[in-house]
Amino acid sequence: MINVDKNNPSPEWIAEMRKRFEVEREVDRALTYKLEKRAGPAYKTIPLQTLVDGVKALIAANVSGDFEIKNPHWLAGGASKLQMGFDLDWQRPGVGRELTRMVLRSDLAEALHATSRAREFQIVNAIKTVLPVPPVFWYDNTGEYLPYPSIVYGFAEGVTKPSNATSGVSGLGTFMPKDVREKLAPQFTQHMANLHTFDFRNAELSAFDIPQLGTQNAHWAVNWWDRVWAEDADEEVPLVALASAWLHKNAPAVDKLSVVHGDFRTGNYLFRESDCQITTWLDWELARIGDRHQDLAWSTSRAFSIMAEDGKTVLVSGLMPKDAFLEAYEKASGLSVDKKSLHYYQVFNAYAMVAMTLGTSYRVARNGKSHQDVLLAWLLGVGYMLLDEMRDLIEQGA
Amino acid sequence: MQLRPDIQIQTVIKAMMEDVIPAMDQTNQLAMQSAQLTIGTLTMIAQHLPLAYRFDCDELSRLVDTAKLLEEQADGGSQTTVAVDNLRLAQAVAEDVLSRAKAEPGEILDAIRSLRTATGDTVRAVYEEGAEQVIKTVESTVLNSSKQQLLRDRSWLLMQGWEPDPESVPAIESLLPAIAKG
Repeated sequence: MINVDKNNPSPEWIAEMRKRFEVEREVDRALTYKLEKRAGPAYKTIPLQTLVDGVKALIAANVSGDFEIKNPHWLAGGASKLQMGFDLDWQRPGVGRELTRMVLRSDLAEALHATSRAREFQIVNAIKTVLPVPPVFWYDNTGEYLPYPSIVYGFAEGVTKPSNATSGVSGLGTFMPKDVREKLAPQFTQHMANLHTFDFRNAELSAFDIPQLGTQNAHWAVNWWDRVWAEDADEEVPLVALASAWLHKNAPAVDKLSVVHGDFRTGNYLFRESDCQITTWLDWELARIGDRHQDLAWSTSRAFSIMAEDGKTVLVSGLMPKDAFLEAYEKASGLSVDKKSLHYYQVFNAYAMVAMTLGTSYRVARNGKSHQDVLLAWLLGVGYMLLDEMRDLIEQGA
Repeated sequence: MQLRPDIQIQTVIKAMMEDVIPAMDQTNQLAMQSAQLTIGTLTMIAQHLPLAYRFDCDELSRLVDTAKLLEEQADGGSQTTVAVDNLRLAQAVAEDVLSRAKAEPGEILDAIRSLRTATGDTVRAVYEEGAEQVIKTVESTVLNSSKQQLLRDRSWLLMQGWEPDPESVPAIESLLPAIAKG
């Protein structure tokens, strides 16, 4: 690993990172923004009023006419975001005077993902015709109005798990009762099919670069996490070096480009408990235009699977057996599942998760950049199980 | 191993100070005092941990010197003779231990990190320039050595609960051989 002070990155080293790893332009901007801010102050508790003032300024820059923010309150935001719920009394275009429930999602001084709010805004807006997503109103991509980059969504109703279900941190290991998962599983599959067959070519996605058919999208994807690892990791892991080289060497050619969610799994959708209808898909910050097998591999990852009541059936994303899921996906989407590509993206996803947990979690916690450093330091430990999974997958061959 | 006591202690102290203590009943004197002592103790552990080995070696070294002097100076009856014999035995054991305590933990960690980096660079270089067969051989070597190390890493962190089948991971005590005596 390069002998540099990653906690105080120099402009020369930042330039070197940008030059060495070819990624999409907006991904580059977000990662560069992270590095340029790194030597700055650690995260300090933000008063709710600071967020209220910031969101007022953001709305004022985007909305004409009077408005009022009512009932601001904290919402749980997980390890990567601060969230504030509020009601906006405003003249909503096309609707008239309305009290709209909204959610501000704010980045931290540094978090598990250094991503773009512009990309998140665009993809959610684009995808709303084929998937249930919350309305998205405004965003602050560079912390111009708020302490950190932020985005404002409409409030989405629903739960991530039944009230009596158990789960680990970040919704991992959520156990859904049989009657619930039987209703959710077909929707889960159909929604992924809808996403991957969405015609993105005419959508406003200027914050995304569209790769060529072939291997370019895979190299961009690997470069993204190569760069995260290079920027964030403290100690080198020889297996990570091997995985990166393996991924570049074995990059599969994509036959059809799709919008890829990047974190498509149980825990990232909400559903109504009364009828188990999925009401919204969340967490679009890792979305990209790429290979559908990335989502397929993510959803079927061991990390997001649970064991059924019989103690022998592994349920992908806690919902259904893997073969049943893939078969249903092919039927719903009309797209084929290529086993070699699926295997490749299983390695890729493990690689990305290793970079996030062993690399970024360490760096964020080390520099005190989040409101949950102790959780990030704890999450760091899962990196070794993920490394082991990645090792097994590489050993199985390309 | 990236998950080391330094970052664990640092983040626990921060969580205590910024999340836990402000949420506590500030009038509960026992709880507040215990919380402050918890932070103080953790801060002291963080300060002592990197120096604990050096501290002990330093003490052992001076004890050996003192023992040698006492062995020459001590004179008395049979009780003294027995005590000096025992002192001589303990001093010999201590000298053996000291003779094997050549590197500090920090030096070992530095060497690990340096070798990890050099290994990673070698892997990258081979994938960039090596023939297919060389790549295959190197890949096999790294996968095999990683398997051994990862078993220990996972065992080290077993209590975190990440393992889908924890019974299949041996206890860390059984995976770490004792350091050989000279």
